[in-house]
Amino acid sequence: MRDIFLTSTIPSVLTQTSENRNQKDSQEQEIIQAKGICKRFPNGIVALDHVDLCIAKREVAVIIGPSGSGKSTLLRCLNGLEEIDAGHIVIDGIPLNRNAKNRLLIRTEVGMVFQSFNLFPHMTVAENIILAPQRVRKIRKSQAEELARGLLQKVGMEQKWDTYPAQLSGGQQQRVAIARALAMQPAVMLFDEATSALDPEMIGDVLQVMKDLAREGMTMVVVTHEMGFAREVGDTVIFMEDGQVVEQGPTTSFFDNPTHDRTRHFLSKIL
Amino acid sequence: MNIFFGEHGSRAFEPWWSIGRYILLMGVLIWLAGRGAENLGYNWQWYRVSDIIVSIKNGHVQAGPLLQGLGMTLKISGAGLLLSFCIGLGTALLRLLPSAVGRLLARIYLELVRNIPLLILIFFIYFVIGPLFGLGRFTSAVLALSLFEGAYASEIFRGGLVSIHRGQWEASYSLGLSTWDSYRYVVLPQALRRILPPLTGQAVSLVKDSALVSTIAIYDLTMQGQAMVAETFLAFEVWFTVAGMYLLLTVSLSIAAWILERKLALNNA
Repeated sequence: MRDIFLTSTIPSVLTQTSENRNQKDSQEQEIIQAKGICKRFPNGIVALDHVDLCIAKREVAVIIGPSGSGKSTLLRCLNGLEEIDAGHIVIDGIPLNRNAKNRLLIRTEVGMVFQSFNLFPHMTVAENIILAPQRVRKIRKSQAEELARGLLQKVGMEQKWDTYPAQLSGGQQQRVAIARALAMQPAVMLFDEATSALDPEMIGDVLQVMKDLAREGMTMVVVTHEMGFAREVGDTVIFMEDGQVVEQGPTTSFFDNPTHDRTRHFLSKIL
Repeated sequence: MNIFFGEHGSRAFEPWWSIGRYILLMGVLIWLAGRGAENLGYNWQWYRVSDIIVSIKNGHVQAGPLLQGLGMTLKISGAGLLLSFCIGLGTALLRLLPSAVGRLLARIYLELVRNIPLLILIFFIYFVIGPLFGLGRFTSAVLALSLFEGAYASEIFRGGLVSIHRGQWEASYSLGLSTWDSYRYVVLPQALRRILPPLTGQAVSLVKDSALVSTIAIYDLTMQGQAMVAETFLAFEVWFTVAGMYLLLTVSLSIAAWILERKLALNNA
């Protein structure tokens, strides 16, 4: 099941809700359905130009491409951090539209991990994780703490319970940020260049957490420059350039047999 | 880390140094005034001052006029501070709202109030708005003060809120928190740390500006001082005492803010 990673750490009330969701999920295999997304920034730059994206349950999709190709913007559109100009997005059966309630609901289903971690600096590690389950899922503090403890153990940060983010290394902060996103028990996790701001020796720890997550069945959309990770963990690879999806396909055939010239050119430069 | 500790070190030093400077300045002024008074042939009668601070009637110690005035100043400043911070925060949030009407309203209030002298605002509220809505002296005074200082406070609040990095909003939103919850748990607590020092300055000005309410015959510290000078002719003694009392108020405010600031900073270490 998708929630293996989480179930061991979750209080009973929460498992209940995620089981219900699993039943719902089984009717729709696709967690993310996006069609014809266009996004133009106020300065006139076209970030996304008719992008389609379908992510199935338990799929790990890796988005690669040169900087400025719209990868991050695509991710940010998927949980409504950026408003789209055209197209439509359906997440876990909920349409992402102007309805504010839907938007909030989708954000509880979509976890996001940022390049710059964005932990709340005025809260301890524990408080960072507990905040959203308590405020949004409305679960009791003791339950939220139990949940947080389990998640911190998973990411190897349980000894930093009372620490403030400023006292952690980048890699540690990012692992806490992953735990924070997981605490909402999202149906899908988005990783926006989660390792790009890290020192080389810290990247490994974060990637390991992401690999464990993928192995345990989490649906993931990962924007990254780590080709090793893409090859090892990704089910699908999506190559973007100039706001368009140039090529996408199963990982092995994508890397071994790219069909598009631009893809080949890009891969030859980074591999 | 060094920068951090350095910052802490200087912060620990700051209030005592500013109090020291103030006392030094006052010392020089007093000495100059004393010299001036001597040349005027002024007859110092400090021993009479205690009577206007506390008076003893029938063996009971009672607050003298100056202490009563201090009480009134405290009441007006306290109410004014509370209300001006509410107005300031409200206006700041209104200006950050996507609603154009809200922004326009906030802008009109800001420009109007910041371009009117406080004295005129007090008169306007007391003599024009007051009778219209049946506001008393005290209410008018508090309203005028907090509208005036609230305009400045709102700019401080707005600056603090805007200074919080976009990523904090995005992290908060991505976890499913509403705008209100994001403000309450993520943005405001962080902004407060940055806002506190300039806000303290604003609070100190409010205390000092409250002296102007004496013009609508509220018996605050300044008004009582005036009355006592008229009664006893101890001009120098009374005004120095009054100044000392204002100093006591503002320094306590600064120290309270400094303690709060340190507490918040330690929390964030």
